[in-house]
Amino acid sequence: MKKSVENVADLFELQEDNCKRFVDRIIKTNREVFIMSSLLEKQMCGYDLIKEIFTRCDVFLSQGTVYPVLYTLEGDGLLHAEYSKGDMRSKKYSLTLSGRKAAEKDVEDFAKALEQVSLLLKR
Amino acid sequence: MSLMLKNTINGLDKILFDEIPKGSVVLVTGAEGTLKSGLVFSMMTNYVAANDEHGLYVTLEQNVESHLRNMSSLGIKKESGLHIFDYRDMRLEWMDSELDLIKTTEEVIDSYKEKYDNMTLFALDSLNALYSISEQDNMRNKIYNFFSHLRDEELTSFLIMESARSRISGQFSQFYQIEHFLADGTIELGMIEGKGGVKRYIQILKMRAVKHAMEKHQITIGDNGINILGPIY
Repeated sequence: MKKSVENVADLFELQEDNCKRFVDRIIKTNREVFIMSSLLEKQMCGYDLIKEIFTRCDVFLSQGTVYPVLYTLEGDGLLHAEYSKGDMRSKKYSLTLSGRKAAEKDVEDFAKALEQVSLLLKR
Repeated sequence: MSLMLKNTINGLDKILFDEIPKGSVVLVTGAEGTLKSGLVFSMMTNYVAANDEHGLYVTLEQNVESHLRNMSSLGIKKESGLHIFDYRDMRLEWMDSELDLIKTTEEVIDSYKEKYDNMTLFALDSLNALYSISEQDNMRNKIYNFFSHLRDEELTSFLIMESARSRISGQFSQFYQIEHFLADGTIELGMIEGKGGVKRYIQILKMRAVKHAMEKHQITIGDNGINILGPIY
């Protein structure tokens, strides 16, 4: 539903909403990069990853979009998964050597792509 | 050379005379131990291997490891194009949250479709499990939308359903009709007791746009996997 703009504060809020919508879409579409980027810092389970990305980006990636990415990345040999000692409830994922290289390259390329898109829009 | 679904199991062409149209939603029903999972998994794994396509098998009842052990005991191997998704990790980690598993399953399908654009097959094992752990509100609409989603994605889908359980307990009886109306096909698997002992059978109850046999045919499991033999009577 469209919000009505009655004053300057409403306008700022509307602009922020619009910006948030784009950020939301960018992160959801490129969630593999954000998942790999989060795993560059530490090993995490699906739950931790969703929480981490929500805290950092204010975007909620649903379970049905995150776990398939983890399973396919594991299948491709980019992630290693293991259950924590004494806690069979959470499967922790870490980057393999090739996964780390791929993650670093993806993060770099993704940042470059965003810069290029930004420049194209400003022309 | 491409392989048709009706040729993925030895003898399946005795009961299916034409190919199942792409995007069909087929129910595979039967009591426990009637080879429902084995039949579906076997069709999918042979199909994706021969056609260089991808398939997704979602299991709610078992985890990947135990499902693969069961399949291996039936002589059925998983090919690389067939992906299995189980809910074990998700359900354990999100124990305290209420997951909408129908919506989540749709998201899982979309995620695999994004990754593998030549994903053409889908299976859910089982529809009963999905019902039992889903919010019951508005279930008829949710199921209608779920079937529509599968068709929109142009996935030939096999939905496994334990029918005996639903008939005995009545737990799922209120939904029992809707899947049958909505599905393009129903394959029934069962057991029949005769002079020679108990035999497993397969029968096509319905398959839209496909010529098929009406009789119950014997289904066996041998060293080379599943075989469909002649009519049982």
